[in-house]
Amino acid sequence: MSGKNNINMSVKIEKLKLKNPVMTASGTFGYGEEYADYVDLNKLGAVVVKGLSLKPRAGNPPPRIMETTGGMLNAVGLQNIGVEAFIAEKLPFLRKFDTKIIANIYGESYDEYKKIARKLDAAKGVHALEINISCPNVQKGGLSFGADPKTAAAVTRKVKDATDLPVIVKLTPNVTDITAIAIAVEKAGADAISLINTITGMSVDIFTRKPHLKNITGGLSGPAIKPVALRMVWQVLQKVSIPVIGIGGIMNAEDALEFLILGAKAVQIGTANFINPQATMDVIAGIEKFMQMSNVANINKIIGTFKP
Amino acid sequence: MAKNIYIGEIFKNEEIAQDCFLMSVALHSTFAEPQPGQFVMLRISGISEPFLARPFSIYSFQRETDFCRIDLLYQVVGKGTQILAGLIKGSQVEILGPLGNGFEISQSARNLVLIAGGMGAAPLSFLAEYLDNKVCSGSSKIYFYLGARNSETLIGMDKINNLTCTAVICTDDGSLGEKGLVTQILAQDLKKYAPDQTMIYACGPKPMLKELAKILQGTKFKCQVSLEERMACGVGACLGCAVEVKGKKGMAAYKRVCADGPVFYIDEIAWKKI
Repeated sequence: MSGKNNINMSVKIEKLKLKNPVMTASGTFGYGEEYADYVDLNKLGAVVVKGLSLKPRAGNPPPRIMETTGGMLNAVGLQNIGVEAFIAEKLPFLRKFDTKIIANIYGESYDEYKKIARKLDAAKGVHALEINISCPNVQKGGLSFGADPKTAAAVTRKVKDATDLPVIVKLTPNVTDITAIAIAVEKAGADAISLINTITGMSVDIFTRKPHLKNITGGLSGPAIKPVALRMVWQVLQKVSIPVIGIGGIMNAEDALEFLILGAKAVQIGTANFINPQATMDVIAGIEKFMQMSNVANINKIIGTFKP
Repeated sequence: MAKNIYIGEIFKNEEIAQDCFLMSVALHSTFAEPQPGQFVMLRISGISEPFLARPFSIYSFQRETDFCRIDLLYQVVGKGTQILAGLIKGSQVEILGPLGNGFEISQSARNLVLIAGGMGAAPLSFLAEYLDNKVCSGSSKIYFYLGARNSETLIGMDKINNLTCTAVICTDDGSLGEKGLVTQILAQDLKKYAPDQTMIYACGPKPMLKELAKILQGTKFKCQVSLEERMACGVGACLGCAVEVKGKKGMAAYKRVCADGPVFYIDEIAWKKI
């Protein structure tokens, strides 16, 4: 919506209107405040906060992260302060900003998903929910819900019944056919789909013969996964009609544009935040520059212009 | 909203002890004054591997007329530090910082006891310098216990020699100073210090800090330790650099080394789990 040169970057994800298509990816931007010294949060399309569970979670024992070629493995294990503390302690700060707040939620049972959704629905300042049915680093819930079309649909339905907020379902790439899950959650009422979460992976210390992560396996993110993410976004786009949000290894505006051109309505920036706290700002500026260069005034004229 | 990554220019990068390098980087003068114990995240500009920044504690900081100079000490341990060691004068690095919480400076303790093992000498000699310049008067004194594997790997002496402090040097093989672990030498000396008039500051390898925790257990000494952990962001967002602290009712609880630390009081850490 930058007034400069009449460039319009606003996009709509069902009833969720974003000033631009750039969001932060859950788990890479804390609760927003961690990066508030570096990024003008007002300039973001949306802030997606760290996954919230019903009760606080301590997370996994360290070591939790390891850099691998072109990416990083993490097994944080959804450490978070819990939905109630989020509403009481973190949301008031986020409400001060002119951006959309998307709460990523994680439950160990249908009932937990429902309860978290109800609490956030009642809280002022949350604009949408993103359901995490795809965390690879926790024992219960998460991935097991996301790996089966039936359970994925059931979680989606439970959350939809519990809230009037737009519901985005975040999909895992760790399945044989991601389109089957995408179709199932669309049918169950999802307002949008975001993908991909991290790809499970591991790394071995050849000297100690131990895994680099205490959890043994972790989720791979970063530039290494971008081609996989693009492929999956492309496959899902051909099977669903609800908006798709592209995530996976976006480091700069060019990477983001690849997803948008495929047809993703928006993108999420994750691991790039760690390397450059202003990565989201650079991506927004880069997209704007690309639009000026290509003489396109409206971002929607770029979205879905892929020519296979 | 003003903070950002600084592009620094290397003007010195030399081996000062076996596998240990001193890197001096020139930064724009707006770089904030670091406190002893704080760190920076450093990345080599323009390379894709390693692509994450790495944390380095600050060894020295100087304001020059139109720039500032930050000195970092690092040990060559892997691919990333190997590449770092090969950088020549004029190379650029990206620096984020200063980050984390530095040491709490005790204004009242008569005995400021510093214990450093190996690379732990970097933040502690910065602290010693700070204490010597800004805190110490006639009533407080610095005791610096500095340990290393051997005389070749010992670092920090250049600074210590210029300070008013009692330095106790020890090496594992006895090639310099006293023979033994720095924690053993300290344990022998501990009775010299009155707990209520002493602040202990420590940094070094985990086994050393763990041993120190054991030595101080049950005593009334106050001790701050600076910890190190793998990090991705350095600002508290990624939750990668978790350290287990003593939780309620024996439940696991983690703190972030980057944002909650890197300096912690030693009795806060769940050493049994480390």
